[in-house]
Amino acid sequence: MLSGKNLTKKYQGQEILKGVDIVVERGKITSLIGPSGAGKTTLLRVLSMLDLPDTGKITLDNENYVFPQDKEIKVWPKISVVFQQLFLWPHLTLRQNILLPLRNNVDKKYIDELIDVLQMKDFIDRYPNEVSIGQRQRAAIARAIALKPEYLLLDEITSSLDVEQIDLVLKFLLRLKERGVGILIITHLLNFAKNASDQIVFLDSGIVLERGGKEILENPKHERVQKFLSIIKSAT
Amino acid sequence: MLSILGIILTYKEGLLLGLWVTLKLCLVIWLAGLVIGTILGYLSSKYHSEIGIPARIIAFILSGIPVLVFLFWLHYPLQAMLQVVVNPFYTTCFALSIVNIFAVSEIVRSALDNFPTQYNLAAKVCGLSKKETFTKIELPIIFRQIIPSLLSLQVTMLQLTIFASLISVEEIFRVAQRINSLIYQPIEIYTAMAIFFLIVCLPMNGLAIWLKYKFTRNISEQ
Repeated sequence: MLSGKNLTKKYQGQEILKGVDIVVERGKITSLIGPSGAGKTTLLRVLSMLDLPDTGKITLDNENYVFPQDKEIKVWPKISVVFQQLFLWPHLTLRQNILLPLRNNVDKKYIDELIDVLQMKDFIDRYPNEVSIGQRQRAAIARAIALKPEYLLLDEITSSLDVEQIDLVLKFLLRLKERGVGILIITHLLNFAKNASDQIVFLDSGIVLERGGKEILENPKHERVQKFLSIIKSAT
Repeated sequence: MLSILGIILTYKEGLLLGLWVTLKLCLVIWLAGLVIGTILGYLSSKYHSEIGIPARIIAFILSGIPVLVFLFWLHYPLQAMLQVVVNPFYTTCFALSIVNIFAVSEIVRSALDNFPTQYNLAAKVCGLSKKETFTKIELPIIFRQIIPSLLSLQVTMLQLTIFASLISVEEIFRVAQRINSLIYQPIEIYTAMAIFFLIVCLPMNGLAIWLKYKFTRNISEQ
């Protein structure tokens, strides 16, 4: 289990996270939704310990990290992250992007399967600037998955995908979930969240306003969540 | 009237000696610029206030002084003030090396300062060590970014070596001038010079453009 308790984070004097509690369980998908500027990406970065929280506690399986602390943290790639901006290394082909972090431990069968499942065969040997954003997104996902993480945190990875590609990614995430990977995904796509999630967390202004199962998308209790969801529904 | 080829064949020994001096100048200037400039650029990026700012100020001042003026100032007033006489070959090496060092340093510093740290973040998430990140991510990306600019700069430095002729360095242009004073065939002689520089510089410039096309990828992901 990857969990954060009472996490706070300030940037330039502004409090972005105000005591957030969150749990990502193995074999489950948690969707994080909320308006822009709610602190979703900050929470993802803090939970992955790429940015350390100012205060709070993060538990990764049996290991506790209490903040503030100076201890060197090495939790990657046990926790892996796919960023909204994908950060594929531009001097390497997509295949090389996937293989480089594996060093000499390449499980060829697994990689081939990954390429096959994410339908990347046709462009796997191209450079990131030679493929579409959707293809890059799949490559970034593949790079993270190839490392066989136990927890996978995804920041708006469906933002540039078409309907078919979203379906492809969704099916893939469900397969990962079955394999026991704990997944946290930031998304604005309610249908995606509804179809994929075991847990939904609504974050606004650095505070978790509501959390629960899929039902909160249909019957939210908090007024702010109701308003946000109704805007999204009317927009789509 | 001797043809261009005829002139080259007739005065081949003098031209080869001039060419050798030009090559020696280039080797010193290129080597000093690339090695010291790269180190200075790295240190400028790492120690911003201690080395970076002074280096940028010097580079800024140098960029405002024409190379010829700088060379002449080193050759005449400075030597007169210090009451020393330095071989003009070394004066040229020093002047152009200084220009090259600070220009290379700026290219390297800028590439290091503007390196997108997101790639390091991606490497961190993928579990790469700092050493692996430096050797497999940072270095290749920076190298690819700066190599076309460095190559173009070195072509410019080669072209600037002809200024050495003005302080009596017997490089190829000076030899060409001497031959012209003997046979007075400026069209053929200076055409030969132009062809020589074209043969050397064009492939280098072409290579720089090709490398830029091949290596300078869109690293913004936009």
